[in-house]
Amino acid sequence: MDISLEVNGTTHQLSADPGVTLLDALRERLDITGPKKGCDRGQCGACTVHVGGRPVLACLTLAATVRQPVTTVEGLSTDDSLHPVQQAFLDQDALQCGFCTSGQIMSAVAAVTQDVQDVREFMSGNLCRCSAYPNIVAAVEQARRADASV
Amino acid sequence: MPSRLDGPLKVTGRARYGADHNFPGMVYGYVVLSTIAHGEIQAMDCTAAMSAPGVLAVYSPFDPLELRTPSTPLFGETRVPMQDKDVTHYGQPIGFVVAQTFEQARDAAMLVGVSYHARPAHTSLEDGLATAEDAPPARDGAPPTLAVLAPGVESIEDALAASPVVTEATYATTTQHHAAMEPHSAVAVWGQDGLTVYSGNQATHLQAMELAGALDVDLSRVHAVNPFVGGAFGGKARTSAPAFLAAAAARALGRPVKAALTREQVFTATAGRAATVQRISLGAATDGTLIAVRHDSWCSTDTDRSFVEQTSHVTSREWYATQNLAISQRMVPLNVPPTTFMRAPGEAPGSFALESAIDELAVALRMDPIQLRMRNNSAAPPGKDLQWSSKHLDECFQLGAARFGWANRSPHGHTDGDWLVGMGTATAMFPALRFPATVEITLRADDTAVVATSGADPGTGLLTVLALVGAESLDITPDRVTPRLGDSALPPGGLSGGSTGTASAGTAVMIAAVAVIDAVLTLASSPGAPFEGHEVLYADGRLLSDGRSMTFGELLRATGRTSISATGSSAPGEEMTKHSFASFGAQFCEVRVHKWTREIRVSRLLGVFDAGRIINDQTARSQIMGGMIWGVSAALHEGLEIEANGRPANGDFAGYLLPVNADIPDVDVHFVEYPDTLHNAVGARGVGEIGTVGMAAAVANAVHNATGIRVRRIPIVLEDLLDQPVRAPSSGSR
Repeated sequence: MDISLEVNGTTHQLSADPGVTLLDALRERLDITGPKKGCDRGQCGACTVHVGGRPVLACLTLAATVRQPVTTVEGLSTDDSLHPVQQAFLDQDALQCGFCTSGQIMSAVAAVTQDVQDVREFMSGNLCRCSAYPNIVAAVEQARRADASV
Repeated sequence: MPSRLDGPLKVTGRARYGADHNFPGMVYGYVVLSTIAHGEIQAMDCTAAMSAPGVLAVYSPFDPLELRTPSTPLFGETRVPMQDKDVTHYGQPIGFVVAQTFEQARDAAMLVGVSYHARPAHTSLEDGLATAEDAPPARDGAPPTLAVLAPGVESIEDALAASPVVTEATYATTTQHHAAMEPHSAVAVWGQDGLTVYSGNQATHLQAMELAGALDVDLSRVHAVNPFVGGAFGGKARTSAPAFLAAAAARALGRPVKAALTREQVFTATAGRAATVQRISLGAATDGTLIAVRHDSWCSTDTDRSFVEQTSHVTSREWYATQNLAISQRMVPLNVPPTTFMRAPGEAPGSFALESAIDELAVALRMDPIQLRMRNNSAAPPGKDLQWSSKHLDECFQLGAARFGWANRSPHGHTDGDWLVGMGTATAMFPALRFPATVEITLRADDTAVVATSGADPGTGLLTVLALVGAESLDITPDRVTPRLGDSALPPGGLSGGSTGTASAGTAVMIAAVAVIDAVLTLASSPGAPFEGHEVLYADGRLLSDGRSMTFGELLRATGRTSISATGSSAPGEEMTKHSFASFGAQFCEVRVHKWTREIRVSRLLGVFDAGRIINDQTARSQIMGGMIWGVSAALHEGLEIEANGRPANGDFAGYLLPVNADIPDVDVHFVEYPDTLHNAVGARGVGEIGTVGMAAAVANAVHNATGIRVRRIPIVLEDLLDQPVRAPSSGSR
């Protein structure tokens, strides 16, 4: 079926089976590979993207059902400047292998935007086997301070 | 300069991991796995799969892709899929479907019908203990059973019988899996120059060797590329099944092929950590001096007996001064997925047993567990003459005790409302190793340098270390150094494994820097060059002579060159005949156990480490912290439950529990920095694995301190604590 997807400000037309997930559409059809496939069944969070400004698991979302604009980690930064959350992840060394990082950052952006009470709880849908968890919390706190100062 | 040089690419999604590569005409492979644990495949009906939409090929043992068993000096033979009809474990790769899209390949794979001649499967370590086999000699050549006895002592039994205080217990650790976030995957492309493979792996040069051997092509025709690896931890040392299959299928079909294991497949189609059973007897004098240490170990292994999880040989053999020592290692071959190196192989489960046993001895002696460990501090492994090159374990414990508030610990924990609070500690040790490494340094006319070796940086920080050691060795700022890693076309070195990356590649960087500085000095004074005939010195990236100076870039431009290169190689040498080498650490943990639900929460963690020189404080701290959390995970979360028929009951991320953010408190990491230049010129001993060692025992010891309940099997689950009464707290608070 024909699908129209707005991703990071660009609208793409593609033809894909109704069973194609948003994650596979992004990665295999549009070559947008920031979102990662860590489990393909909503258990790890590495595929987290924003749809209409809300975090969703791209592996559990069928591409054909997406109506609102999609933002991936690639859409947060410009060539010149990082998003405050991305900068905070760098500053706090909130990553090691980096495979979960795209999803962590998309969840962290939501944590900052929603001004969540319990950062650890909110970020617990994103697994990090390198176990950078304390640094991820520090990054969210840093980004929250940066957000407050804007 | 960021503390992690590849950080900017990773936080923006621009770092391309293996499966992130896409090529025109690329097709998708999906691996078919066995659904029995032991037997022979009688037939595979691929008709429906072959005629499914988009399918290009279905490979099976009856119509296999041609692959040979490759062998490398480091790993020996690596199994390749589908070359016979034998099934030795559940979830073994037995087929490969290639189609135009991922979805088509997956759908068609479900249509493959397999019939088996099934045989009884042996999947229980406990059931196999009685018929266990002696393990082959350890990596250092030590026999599976050995004893070091004091003069006049006939046996370890005699030594134990003569000990005033004796403790004995049996410990068990479960099957584990690396569970790196990046599933094993590959994109394979054949061109005129041969094969290029993009696949996360711990050493591109070894991956290229294995692929060349498997495909029976010259090594020069295989190019392995993996600048980014989504976690490895030992699980991506060997080349993975999807890499072999994608490479062979891409050759057969003349199309680029992408293949990735699903998360569920990763748990059976790759290798994990063996389960262990360990029996430890300790005999001590009443002042705590160890008289006898006996540590008997059993581990599971696969039917190929491809890996032995050596628990007693890598812990009790070396950790404590004892007058008498006896260790053994046996293995139980089972119809389970292959076993392999996993972060602190041997040391992680071995330290759970030994450091729990030491804690039990401390309780029996009514002695502080730190005092007991310091009493038995070893200057050298028992029975060996080679002393530790640089050991500051006592300082780690003293500093740690002060930082953690150990003086406030009561032998019976304390309570805080409905929570029982306890503290535990454990020793951590990990050998300091090095592997041969070659590094090339290129000085360029723009006054920058490139430091290159093949290896990999699966989150370890080695890429950044190359830049830092390169800059220091070349006497220039790190921002002028471009490190390169993760490409088999580069000089072989920088394998990510054994906590060796910094010591191995770093030393080679220093040697290469001397060589390239020599080369640039020779160039400077050569005929026609700016310093012709003069004595020239090198400092700050500049050439100096007779009051004149110029940068190496200016010299290169003046001599019409764009660059100058040299390589340096390093390998373990005669230092191994002079000292024993290891890193050391003191682990501390505080747990809170709920009085009614017995929920266990880790509330504080501290590790103090003596790991030689630390090159990059932030990345080293992060790696150690991750290792410590791995120890918590082993103690309280993860374990692969293998059912009697060989199927993992919890082989996905919903069932195989890993800590999530809310499980982990702040973690305090501290280094005592004593550069160990007896081991290598850089003075660094590696931090990749030691953070994991001992932590599971520290958690279990803290649980005992809090509750009075000794759990000798990890992971500790609520039932372990619900089934027994907790010790009545002696008072309301500490």
